[in-house]
Amino acid sequence: MTTRTIKVDYLARVEGEGALDLHIENGEVTAANLRIFEPPRFFEAFLRGRSYTELPDIVARICGICPIAYQLGAIQAVEDAFEVTVDPQVSALRRLIYCGEWIQSHALHVVMLHAPDFLGYPDAIQMAEQHREAVRRGLALKQAGNALMCLLGGREIHPVSLRAGGFHRVPTKRELEVLCDEMKQARDLAKELVIWVSSFPFPAFERDYEFVALRHDQDYPITAGRIVSSEGIDIAIGDYEHEFEERQVPHSTALQSSVKRRGAYLVGPMARYAINHDRLPQSVQELADSAGIGPICRNPFQSIVIRALEILHACDEAVRLIAAYEEPSRPFAPVEPRAAVGFGCTEAPRGICWHRYEFAEDGTIRNARIVPPTSQNQSSVEADLKAVAALLVDKADNAIRTRCEMTIRNYDPCISCAAHFLKLTVHRP
Amino acid sequence: MNAPHSLLVLAIGNPDRGDDAAAWEVATTLDGLLPESTALLRSSGDFLSMLDQWQQFDAMICIDAAAPQGNPGKISRFDIAAGPLPTSLDALSSHAFGLGQSIALAKRLGFAPARIVVYAIEGENFAVGEPLSQGVAAAVMPASKAILSEAKRLSEGKLDA
Repeated sequence: MTTRTIKVDYLARVEGEGALDLHIENGEVTAANLRIFEPPRFFEAFLRGRSYTELPDIVARICGICPIAYQLGAIQAVEDAFEVTVDPQVSALRRLIYCGEWIQSHALHVVMLHAPDFLGYPDAIQMAEQHREAVRRGLALKQAGNALMCLLGGREIHPVSLRAGGFHRVPTKRELEVLCDEMKQARDLAKELVIWVSSFPFPAFERDYEFVALRHDQDYPITAGRIVSSEGIDIAIGDYEHEFEERQVPHSTALQSSVKRRGAYLVGPMARYAINHDRLPQSVQELADSAGIGPICRNPFQSIVIRALEILHACDEAVRLIAAYEEPSRPFAPVEPRAAVGFGCTEAPRGICWHRYEFAEDGTIRNARIVPPTSQNQSSVEADLKAVAALLVDKADNAIRTRCEMTIRNYDPCISCAAHFLKLTVHRP
Repeated sequence: MNAPHSLLVLAIGNPDRGDDAAAWEVATTLDGLLPESTALLRSSGDFLSMLDQWQQFDAMICIDAAAPQGNPGKISRFDIAAGPLPTSLDALSSHAFGLGQSIALAKRLGFAPARIVVYAIEGENFAVGEPLSQGVAAAVMPASKAILSEAKRLSEGKLDA
């Protein structure tokens, strides 16, 4: 009996700390375990007993990369529980700040973390030697996203302007218009980015995923929609727990999500795109087509192209929303707490981020549950790893490790704290 | 020198996470005391959004917290001219790009100031909502004095000081 155990103690170029254990017996991959830590579990306990007014500021600190996903999901749940109706212009501003989050998060991953895999560099610093303009373009796009978040959120990291009912302060039309030229330039850079990443050599690999994403009546979903899957799920966000469940696995502190009675599912750019391709503007659909991406993409390595397309769409949306903006009559609607349960769900850069809160009469949080995208994708990552490694069992450990790391980075996992070295342990009988 | 700001003093940290607030505390102490040609900025650690701003400066002093290694409050000085930052300084970054990597990337892209000096204050407790630990709080004043002296030397053009 031949047994190989391939360990990656620290995954590089992901947001946070992760590890991989791969077991191969007699030429078959028997286990692929992604070990990760998820901060939201701690925050759920921390939230109990706190006021709904503190909720946006607390959850913003769950993640420095996608604070809006956590803030807006929580705020939506408050508004759902307390039956608050927000001004349409407030909704538009929320979509706009979220565009900023998509742009900065996707630009960071596409250019600085993921592109080196396809071009054969250990990191973006080495890649910048030969691809200086591409790296500069990535930084400029990230900066454009940050500028949106900074103006609307008050600061780049852990925005402070969002609150239940709206914003503490809304921008003037003139303040927003200052960003219009930068967003138009970003749109041009994003088109160049799509063309650049679509030229990468992609491994030939496909899997038959169950895609799960929000779906909205008109828009490509960011801040609102029903939860829809490629296998027929079509539910209001409050019914999430009827269709999905979480379980503890021994090798990870993160709970793993699955579709009840079926198993792993995929959230994030590929799922959003597959379910909402028809919600993208014609110009983006045509560019996707010319980039070799049809209406549905099942090759996870090509997710980098879809992320670039989403950056382009977010830039387009930012230009549109800024042009259409009219300052609302009041920055926030009044909020009256009551004993109730509320739900929130938005499309974080990495996929749907689902929230459920139970409030007491005075607005104190009695229970909180947050399901972040990375834990929803964990089963899918592991299935990908098994399938990818199965094609490489005859290769050296290093080749398997490299492709497996690349496979994990397809998901842009958002974990806890960065680590930058790899240790590989191979056990051979 | 690039007038009016030839020197950037960059305080890196998170005021909500215990000893990660050390550099911001140093910045508060330095506020109003730095040479005229100096810009003082506080950063949350998202360096990639500000790399291109670095090229406006001839010199940069970065202040950051370092990962615990048994000596809370220990102040270390690193001159990038002598070599890259130890990777332990990147361990606190919540992003995939820490300070050392960001400096290396800035150099590669032509954004790096000619002189970069990093001051690191070793932390002990980085828990959310916690104050500075005793050892780190005690290091704020000596670190501020050392950085003020360094800023004056760099502003006067004594690049080898």
